[in-house]
Amino acid sequence: MIGETLELTVVGVDDIAPSLRHVRLAAADGGQLPPASAGANIQLRLQGEARTWRNAYSLISQPGRRDVYEIIVRRVPESRGGSAFVHEVLKPGDRLVASWPSNLFAPQRTARHHLMIAGGIGITPFLSYVADFAHNGASHALHVCCRESETATFAPWLQDCGDLNYYWDADGHRLDIPALLAQQPAGTHLYVCGPAALNDQVIQAAADAGWPASHVHCEHFGAALSGGTPFTAFLSRSGIEVEVGESESLLEAIERIGASAPCLCRGGACGVCVTGVLEGEPEHRDHYLGADEREGGQLIMPCVSRARSARLVLDL
Amino acid sequence: MMQSQITSRPRYRELVAEDTAGAHLLIVEGDTLTPRQMAALAAAFAPVAERMQTWLVSAPATALAPGRVRKLQTVEEAAATLEHMDEGFGIADRLYLQGTEPFMWMLAAAATRAGLSPTQIRMQHAGSLKRRVWCTHCHQTTENVTTNIATCAGCGRELLVRDHFSRRLGAFMGVMVDAEAPGEVPQREEVFP
Repeated sequence: MIGETLELTVVGVDDIAPSLRHVRLAAADGGQLPPASAGANIQLRLQGEARTWRNAYSLISQPGRRDVYEIIVRRVPESRGGSAFVHEVLKPGDRLVASWPSNLFAPQRTARHHLMIAGGIGITPFLSYVADFAHNGASHALHVCCRESETATFAPWLQDCGDLNYYWDADGHRLDIPALLAQQPAGTHLYVCGPAALNDQVIQAAADAGWPASHVHCEHFGAALSGGTPFTAFLSRSGIEVEVGESESLLEAIERIGASAPCLCRGGACGVCVTGVLEGEPEHRDHYLGADEREGGQLIMPCVSRARSARLVLDL
Repeated sequence: MMQSQITSRPRYRELVAEDTAGAHLLIVEGDTLTPRQMAALAAAFAPVAERMQTWLVSAPATALAPGRVRKLQTVEEAAATLEHMDEGFGIADRLYLQGTEPFMWMLAAAATRAGLSPTQIRMQHAGSLKRRVWCTHCHQTTENVTTNIATCAGCGRELLVRDHFSRRLGAFMGVMVDAEAPGEVPQREEVFP
């Protein structure tokens, strides 16, 4: 984590759907929290019995609110453990260490219209967007692709949403992405947050339709992508070798042995954890490095990327 | 003078039609129109000719152009028309401009007010290198400057024309040339013919 950390207390835990848990957090000392902007997230350190998870969650609380941070956590069946911990262990009164809020997915203030497409739990950053747009009178539309049973789940946060549309996987209810993107006025900014397949479809459809890339914005969930075949990493500066297991990321393995590694988003988006590769072949899974840097093979984002070779030597 | 060490100096490229699903609008300054240039534009825009229109500004009555053609008398008329189009612009539309820098940037500013993003606008310089100059002292602009030193149309100061460019104003910076040593005005030369 970058910079100072926050000490938080869990003040509310509420299951809003069978796999969705709403968690409310306040400052442990009873004081005010740092203000956060629309689209911001915090990184929580979840201390399990056998291991520690550090997961980033979008804040869904009203932007600028300082008495409470709210998040919604989806329990993922193939979870690496963080979401299961939140659903099974976390209870009111528990203390948590968190990062300060950071924002890699802020709304574009010059937009004339904000067009949001959410997939599943990818709706969370847009809950704070909608509060912001409604407060500022900004033109906006939210298109939500979710389970049919969850169309009412987020209603408490969307009461002020100007143009709200739900889609689910049944005939007549699926989102026609090319049709939605075909007729949007100049000055529109498009935001998508959802599973990788939805993100990729929307970005591709926008490019096919001729949207300038400057008006298309995406937030990925990276954490679920960080597992894979085990490999060995050697940290050349500290002279330590670490085995990276199949269910942990390279960054988590580095943190497990106590080496310090800067990071921010833990999802391959921000670029803070970028590390030099001295030997071995990286398997890039981030959204940060350019094509040239990937081909060069001398940089890696340890929060999501792994190794094609059995061993990686890092400049760390 | 089209290249400069000053990073605010815009760079222009030969126009190429982008095959987007939106509408394509080409606006050409008539003075810069040669038959060879028009043929090059017609070839460049052939792939999108069906979704394209060309506005010719102050062009000869006989001039031809790709797509649906509309003729306008002045750049002011073109800018006003651009800013107040009934149907407005779509996010996939593209605006292509060819002409002198004062011409292109006046239209780019009007298009921006109509909601178009700078990333939807393409420019190819043609014709004179003349500049619009913005005086840092009185904030007035002086048009059609072709010399390294120009007399400000607002305050009458002798201005050194710099390469620093404002996209918002579509103008180059002009600063008083003899501020340090009053009356010492270097030789005036035509450098933006």
